[in-house]
Amino acid sequence: MEILSKITIYMVFIFAAPLFMGLVNKLKARLTGRIGPSVFQSYYDLRRLLRKETIYANSASFISRMAPVVSFVSILFAGMILPVSFTRPLISFNGDLILFAYLLGLSRFFQILGAMDIGSSFEGMGAAREATFAVFAEPIYFFTLGSLAFIFGRTSMYEIFHSITLGDPSFLVFIVVASISVFFLMITETSRMPVDDPNTHLELTMIHEVMILDNSGQDLFLYQYSAYLKILIYATFTSNFFNPFSMAENYMIGFLVYLCVMLVLICCLVWIETMLGRFKMKSIPQYLLFAASIGILNLLIYSFFRK
Amino acid sequence: MGNVLNILFCLSLLYLATTTRVTAYLQVFVLQSILLFFIVMMPLLNHLSVFTLVLPLTILVVKAILIPRYMKKKIIYELEIKTTIEANIQQFNFLLLSVFSMVAVFVSCNLITKDAAVDPIPFAAAFSSVVIGLYVIIFRKKLIVHVIGFLVMENGIFLLGIAVASEMPFLIELGILLDIFVVVFLMGIAINKISSTFAADEVSALDKLKN
Repeated sequence: MEILSKITIYMVFIFAAPLFMGLVNKLKARLTGRIGPSVFQSYYDLRRLLRKETIYANSASFISRMAPVVSFVSILFAGMILPVSFTRPLISFNGDLILFAYLLGLSRFFQILGAMDIGSSFEGMGAAREATFAVFAEPIYFFTLGSLAFIFGRTSMYEIFHSITLGDPSFLVFIVVASISVFFLMITETSRMPVDDPNTHLELTMIHEVMILDNSGQDLFLYQYSAYLKILIYATFTSNFFNPFSMAENYMIGFLVYLCVMLVLICCLVWIETMLGRFKMKSIPQYLLFAASIGILNLLIYSFFRK
Repeated sequence: MGNVLNILFCLSLLYLATTTRVTAYLQVFVLQSILLFFIVMMPLLNHLSVFTLVLPLTILVVKAILIPRYMKKKIIYELEIKTTIEANIQQFNFLLLSVFSMVAVFVSCNLITKDAAVDPIPFAAAFSSVVIGLYVIIFRKKLIVHVIGFLVMENGIFLLGIAVASEMPFLIELGILLDIFVVVFLMGIAINKISSTFAADEVSALDKLKN
């Protein structure tokens, strides 16, 4: 019975992913004075892509066929590790926080391979950029979640997030700071505005979009869906710092807190995307290093803090 | 709660390493001064009196209002200083250097204060403030940024005083504050004089000054 409820929650999570992006796009359009597409536009896009024929380049090898599937499936597995509700997630064991990071890494790796496989110089350039920024993004994850793991002495994501209590005010600030650096991570990993402009159509400035230029049909569907899933996974990851599901014993309140945090995240994302321009490529590593150094600072302060 | 202020103090130091604007440097200095005000106020909250309030309020007035206003009006606006800092090294390397030195400072401070009755976190925050203020002076070309680097260093020394001495010799601290104000005043006059006789606000131009 319990496994059934876990699977139901997971399915809802998976199917809600395009809705998150739809909300972001809608709100962004309203903030810039446009009416904007429907909230369900991402679903229509996905349906359209699913119906289309998949075309491969002449130079494409088996990697091009394999990469979208592997990328999508590893994101799906990463979603299984993430604690979303009151119960343990589908996959949970000691040390799963490392598996989570490397499942997302595997997904990115295959996306990069798929982009390089076609042999177009544009995609190679995008792949190089994605790989470069990933190098700076990974320390953010390990330093923030690592410092939490260090403080609580646990290595399973579910146990770490359920040890968080918001009673101590100094700990609250730590949580807020950590969630800000994870928000940075989310923006980088999902290629949103200050790091990468998802709406640009100039190949020279793109990172993520340029890598999937040559994909079509079902492959593009898989890539798009994994992008939607990725952003929801990172958003939930950020919301987990505030621990909506164990603070309130009541299911209803927990769920409401979760929705509120999500709404705040969407507003932050939209606000940043309307207010800021894209950073120069040169200064992106510096901003990522800043987010990582927040994690280092937290680790330092809390490991040397003597009661 | 004191920890929170120290985290914010360290974060402001890291922000110094990412920003490239002169006014942002000044804002970081103001933020640090306000944080210092709260750090000094924190242990005094239990026995509040007019006498104990003198030092924190002087910090607030001198460091968060007088010095920044003077620098903004008399130096940045009057001399029309360009808004970007001129760096000797890339920002990324500067940030990397700051983070590594901060780690080194924290580890060594933890070792030093192991047996002493000193709170390691304000101690380490103060020490890294001194180190990063020094880096700002070494790796930036603009004279005005050097002044701010000096002020950041001084903030660190002040915080060090709070960390080491539980009972603050507060007359000495007041004297230091006065000195700082005079020094900034003199530096302002010096920069003004230099730029009125010799059109330069960078250190690299100063080596052309010869008899």
